[in-house]
Amino acid sequence: MNPHLARHLTREQISKCLMGDATPQESQHIQDCAVCGAEVARLESSFAQFRGSIRRWSDQEEQISRVREIATMNYETHLERLLIPASVDLPWYKGIVISVRELIHPPKLPPLEVTSKPVKLASLKGLYGGHETTAGLGSVIAHVAVVALLLFAGTLKPVQQAMKEFVPLIAPDLKPLQPKPKPEQSKGGGGSPQKTAETKGELPKIAPKSFVPPIRPQDDPKLAVNPTIVAPEMPNINSPNFGNPLAGVGIPSAGNGIGTGIGSGKGPGVGPGSGGGFGGAAYKIGGGVSAPVPVYRPEPEYSEEARKAKWQGAVLLQLVVDENGVPQDIKVIRSLGLGLDQKAIEAVQKWRFKPGQKDGKAVPVSANIEVNFRLL
Amino acid sequence: MPKLAPVVEVPSAGGLNDFESLVRQHRSRIFRFLIASLRDREAAENLTQDCFVRAFKARDQFRGGSTLGTWLMHIAANLVRDHEANSRLKFWRRKLRADLDPNDLSDWIPDQQKSPEALALAKEQVDAIWRAAANLSERQRTVFLLRFVEDMDLLEIATVTGMKEGTVKTHLFRAVQSVRLGLEERK
Repeated sequence: MNPHLARHLTREQISKCLMGDATPQESQHIQDCAVCGAEVARLESSFAQFRGSIRRWSDQEEQISRVREIATMNYETHLERLLIPASVDLPWYKGIVISVRELIHPPKLPPLEVTSKPVKLASLKGLYGGHETTAGLGSVIAHVAVVALLLFAGTLKPVQQAMKEFVPLIAPDLKPLQPKPKPEQSKGGGGSPQKTAETKGELPKIAPKSFVPPIRPQDDPKLAVNPTIVAPEMPNINSPNFGNPLAGVGIPSAGNGIGTGIGSGKGPGVGPGSGGGFGGAAYKIGGGVSAPVPVYRPEPEYSEEARKAKWQGAVLLQLVVDENGVPQDIKVIRSLGLGLDQKAIEAVQKWRFKPGQKDGKAVPVSANIEVNFRLL
Repeated sequence: MPKLAPVVEVPSAGGLNDFESLVRQHRSRIFRFLIASLRDREAAENLTQDCFVRAFKARDQFRGGSTLGTWLMHIAANLVRDHEANSRLKFWRRKLRADLDPNDLSDWIPDQQKSPEALALAKEQVDAIWRAAANLSERQRTVFLLRFVEDMDLLEIATVTGMKEGTVKTHLFRAVQSVRLGLEERK
């Protein structure tokens, strides 16, 4: 191992690399070390996103401002208007000198020449035909009468009684309209451990519970029951054998999954998922499916290199909690590096859940889990 | 770091005297830097205009020691500093900052047919950087924007800001550290 690979770069060194101020050894380390290289690449891609966003945003804003000044698109003309003529645009010290000089020796101005003469205007009185006094008095009397009438009315018993009465109003229900819960769209799959993929064929009858699976029907049963699967209504085809209507033609097979359905998944449905239904996933939380609740959650361990690098953060995992409350199919969605992803998966594998439920029955549910790594 | 195509310097005979083409060539870049620094279109527009008027007035002082773009950016950086130093505006600027919705920026992510999840993650990151950049000091932000938006190298930034290269490094280092902290807090 190269000597410079022995230790990972510190946080400060990675910042320096981002600045473009890395020493040759550090640059070499980034090229050789996958962990540090990934960290720098991740930050650089964030900054690149930022740069791209700023550029697009500023282009947009500039378009708005350009459209506005379309009338002055000629920058030369615009500049001419902006520039103050040299006779007016004096430096500030010259301006002060001129002001002081004018204060001490006010420049003699030519005598003011009045070019207009005052004109005598006729009085405004008489414009209303001489009834101003009567009209004013009448207006005052009318106003006083109205106010007095209102005050008098207020003292009357029946009026006061009527004011005390009130009509109860019923507050209308102003709660925001809630969308109706969507009919649950569960996905599922099935299959039985056969070596070949499922074949094209007629979909078996759909029932809430699969008593007789469509595979290996018993010869000469005492009580004949039609084979069924658990799935939503689906387009069907006419075919001599049972199979997945969307699959390709081949040797008769119910797929290489586990369970009593058809396909590569697990459970009594059709397709590559698990549980009942049709499709490629476990149930999703919502629409009548409750979320799984962790009941036993041991803390994750720190990896040695992450502890040395004082590395903190969170790993986002996606998993399926099966009907027994055991996590399955753990995948890393957001990685943290330095071996912490592996530690997070190891910890979550030990977790146990109260499984998610649909109609009171435990079902496999897919969920996201964030595992935090904090150094105290 | 992927280098972007450098701004093409057309060596026109007029140089600064050909004002029309000067503005056409550099307007977008100056405007981008100003709007990213100030987050206010009106102010950015005004300062862009001021920048070119100042350049035009001081055209005799341009001796060709740096490229025209760097020189204009130098004027723009000075304008930003003056604008920030203008204490009378501080109250209103703070108000504007508070009003600014950082979701605006993350809507402008260049989506290269990303999955919704990757897009959401990118949005979160851009938001975090944008928020962290808002809390930087004026110098740190200028240096940060010049480095990561305008893609200048350290020497160029030193010319633009009029600081020594060591000072630029210090400011940039602090800016990068705080932005990284902001990015991690968001996780």
